[in-house]
Amino acid sequence: MALGRITTPLVALAAIGWAGTGDALAQSAADRAVEAAQQYAGTTLTITWEAGLQSLDPLNFSGPKWEELTGIEVKVVEMPITELFTKTLAEHRAGTGAYDLLNVVPAWMPDLVYAGVLEPLDAYVDRYGYRDELQDIAPTYRDNQMTFDGQIYGLPDDGDVFLLYYRTDLFGDADNQAEFKDRHGYDLAPPDTWAQFADISEFFTERMGEGGYGSALIHSPGLIHYLFEERFRLAGGQFFDADSMDATINGDIGVDVLSDMVAQLDNMPPGAAAWGPIEVLNSWLAGDLAMMIWWPPPGRWSAGYGTDTEALSWLPESTVAGKVGYASTPGARPQLAAGFALSVAANSDNKEAAYLFAQWMNSKEISLQRVMLPFALRDPFRTSHFESEEYRALWPAAGEYLDALKVGSETGLLDLSIIDTFSYEESLTRAITTSLAGGDVRSALDQSAEEWNEITDEIGVDDQRDAYAIWASKPNAYPN
Amino acid sequence: MSRISAHTGAAARLAEPSPVGVLADRYFRYLIVWPAILVLLLIGLFPLVYSAIVSFQKINRRVEDTSFHGLLNYGRLVGDDRFWESLLHTGIFTAIALPLELVLGFLLAKLMLDRLPGRQVFIALLLLPAVISPIVAGAMWRLMFDNIFGPINQVLGWIAGGPVNILWTINDNPVVVYSAILVCEIWQWTPFMFLILLAALANVDRSQLEAAELDGASYWQTLSKVILPAIKPVVIVALTIRGLDLVRLFDIVWALTRGGPGTMTETVSVYAYIRGFERFDVSFTAALAFVVIVLLSLIVMAMLKRLEIAR
Amino acid sequence: MSPPWKARPWWRERGAGRIWARLAAALVVTLLFLFPVYWLFATAFKTPEEVFASPPVWYPSDINFETFWVLVRDGDVDAVWNSLVTAGVSTVIAMFLGTIAAYSLARFRTGGDNLAIWIISQRMIPPIAIVFPVFLLFAIIGWVDTYIGLIALYTAFNLPYVIWMMRGYIEDVPLELEESALVDGLTRWQTLLKVVFPMVRTGLFATTVFTFIFAWNEFIFALVLTRTDVLTFPVQVTHFFGQQQTFWAKIGAMSILGTLPVFFTVAMAQRFLVRGISMGAIKG
Repeated sequence: MALGRITTPLVALAAIGWAGTGDALAQSAADRAVEAAQQYAGTTLTITWEAGLQSLDPLNFSGPKWEELTGIEVKVVEMPITELFTKTLAEHRAGTGAYDLLNVVPAWMPDLVYAGVLEPLDAYVDRYGYRDELQDIAPTYRDNQMTFDGQIYGLPDDGDVFLLYYRTDLFGDADNQAEFKDRHGYDLAPPDTWAQFADISEFFTERMGEGGYGSALIHSPGLIHYLFEERFRLAGGQFFDADSMDATINGDIGVDVLSDMVAQLDNMPPGAAAWGPIEVLNSWLAGDLAMMIWWPPPGRWSAGYGTDTEALSWLPESTVAGKVGYASTPGARPQLAAGFALSVAANSDNKEAAYLFAQWMNSKEISLQRVMLPFALRDPFRTSHFESEEYRALWPAAGEYLDALKVGSETGLLDLSIIDTFSYEESLTRAITTSLAGGDVRSALDQSAEEWNEITDEIGVDDQRDAYAIWASKPNAYPN
Repeated sequence: MSRISAHTGAAARLAEPSPVGVLADRYFRYLIVWPAILVLLLIGLFPLVYSAIVSFQKINRRVEDTSFHGLLNYGRLVGDDRFWESLLHTGIFTAIALPLELVLGFLLAKLMLDRLPGRQVFIALLLLPAVISPIVAGAMWRLMFDNIFGPINQVLGWIAGGPVNILWTINDNPVVVYSAILVCEIWQWTPFMFLILLAALANVDRSQLEAAELDGASYWQTLSKVILPAIKPVVIVALTIRGLDLVRLFDIVWALTRGGPGTMTETVSVYAYIRGFERFDVSFTAALAFVVIVLLSLIVMAMLKRLEIAR
Repeated sequence: MSPPWKARPWWRERGAGRIWARLAAALVVTLLFLFPVYWLFATAFKTPEEVFASPPVWYPSDINFETFWVLVRDGDVDAVWNSLVTAGVSTVIAMFLGTIAAYSLARFRTGGDNLAIWIISQRMIPPIAIVFPVFLLFAIIGWVDTYIGLIALYTAFNLPYVIWMMRGYIEDVPLELEESALVDGLTRWQTLLKVVFPMVRTGLFATTVFTFIFAWNEFIFALVLTRTDVLTFPVQVTHFFGQQQTFWAKIGAMSILGTLPVFFTVAMAQRFLVRGISMGAIKG
């Protein structure tokens, strides 16, 4: 890969920044990390990262920059996100010590903690004076990605949250507004409730004519459970009875929510029941949709930010640039939907250096550079990111975009994160896909609830009750 | 089982003292078989023994409990409807795909065997589907089956004379979803049957064919009396191998439906992937592997025995 | 059939009609089988808009090779090389060890039915179920992320297939040739290499092709047993599928790069097969 001394203008900016802060007393967390890490010059850190766009960050930006500053080489092991957990655990069980620094999805954190894979980070945080800067990370990401049972196991590193995208040209059209108000008795605006979402989606499916649809949502297995979890909790649902740990997803709330998810297919492109993120995104960029729900990146891409770079050449050209509005998902309690924390592997031989690299990447100044990389998939996650003048100037509506993300960072709902979360999600996913294919919603959810109880029994009701209590006690586990 | 050869007498004769001498023979027959067995033992034995042990323990995502847990995992497996259903789905896929691949492969081989200009190119081209990485093939078929972005519904629409909106990968009609998966499977693996049958047909003793022709045998008579018996050993092996590989059917299903909707198309390998790989339920999956191996061994032995009796 | 020295083109011969019919049939079937391959290869040249166009776009508007260059520059093509090495070397070893073992099984009935069944039972194991034990074993002996690890594994993985296939082909060879070779004073090894191998060369060819393809396409072991150094083709390709991105152009281009070596090898090596075909050609 062509790596000059300075890869992008942003790196140059960052370099100038460091040159200016020589004073030891005014040292930033990033500088402290660099200074402490210099004694490990010559070692190699191995880090796991999601393959593709995500890993361009350590490959092209943070890795080379870190090596230049500290003499520590960074080796990136790329893998699809679906394999991250299993490969991490397998290497740990085999005791290979192959990985030093890990990308961890919050839903797996309890499992990795129980398995002893993750190093507790509190001592490191204190030793290198990082606590203050951790406070700058938006509260929901801290809840979602940082701790388990009061201990720090990861540095929250990605502001993943669902965002509603809508077409400002369609929503702002006077005819549309008049007609909508006439029909539904309230103003056409980004929906506050899922009932409004249904009205608007139906309205535009009709108004946009052939090839145009009110909305499309991500329905693919592995992701579809996020949407259900969000809507289910928004409607007042609880996953478990906190005492008996009986699954409670199959009550009327669950059935209503899932039934409406199925009903919404009528206002989506035919076939959208099988669509994943890519199909939805393509349809959106082609201008076929009035609304979609996605993670933050399309907010930048739809506006054309960075889309002329080679890294984003796989992206269809946006036909909707300048017509994109950002809003919170209906009910303004968007699911955080994955995200990443940086964790240190407990059986690494380079824990100190690994932590320091994580602190440096995660620090205020470096993380801002990273979330502004045009090709980055790391989304803003610090209060200072949302308020950054530099970021807000990147494209005309960037301020609006960051504001919408900021709402999510304060009100977003945490991903379910208990023991063996995967098994629960996998069961729920099958109930949802059965329903989307036209199966009976109630019986699908009943079966899933039964499976949830079996999984809980297998794990041990008491253990799971504890893990669930830890999760449910976090402020944004449930809406209230 | 056994011998798939028609030369029983001759083989026995050669195993008897030969011109080179008994000792040399005995030495030789083991000398040439040992390297292969050694490799199989070195690589295959540890995982198998380890799995056998693990299947009686409790090693999963969270715990690494190596104490003896008796038949815990086997009990769970036997009572697991999802496992038996996945076996059934696998059986359905195999029962449909295997004969279709055999017949298609045979017809193609016949076509290539006769005089055909550009045969070399045709043969190489027909092998291409098997060379495409199954993960890629699955993803590409998913794109092709897409209702909006894919050419399949478009072409069907031309034939039907109106828009066709079949949802191939998510549908409550199993016939549709199974068809989609079977099309990919047959597309990808017919080349295997084709090439093996081509090689087998090419080896058919030419003098026998000429003799049959001189006797005035009809084409069908030649086929059933001379050609089929001659290629039978290879066909049986090919069917066995392909049948066993179909039991491991995974990539295409995973890419197209992930076993869904629900568990409608979940094969035993997809289930093993979810339990063993994604869920990291190591002990349960080890038990599953053993049950599958035992079931398959019984089927293969029964099948081979039947074939021998039928002979 | 006309003798070669007449050099009369086939379409002038008697029975040219049948050949035309066969040619037409072969063309239709080949086109059907190749359409998905074409669709995949075409994505290497399509713009992102064309990949996801509705209605679908059947051919790219512009042919340029930029994606290929990017793959070369970023080192992604190393995966093709890694796959060629692991699949190629393991195929050679498996074919040799497997064929001589198959000869022993076919001619001397070594180990009887039990050995044959045991060998084939190695292929009944779902790879997913034993990938972690293999990983543990390899971690202990330091074979994770090495060529030798994958080569050893693929050799073992393909041996049952080679042994069973080649046993079938060898059993079809009349014994008399070997007997007379032995009488003529050839050693066992010479008989095997100079008499038996040539007799089963079509079988050897067909078996080799798919031994190679099985190793070439193997995914789950390669996924778990590699990290960065010996990523094989199927593993590398999954890096182009992400949750928030799919690099279809790269997937298409990599598939072309990965398919071509195999295609040309097969096309070249067909001398073996074709000679076999003309030997056994029948009139239909």
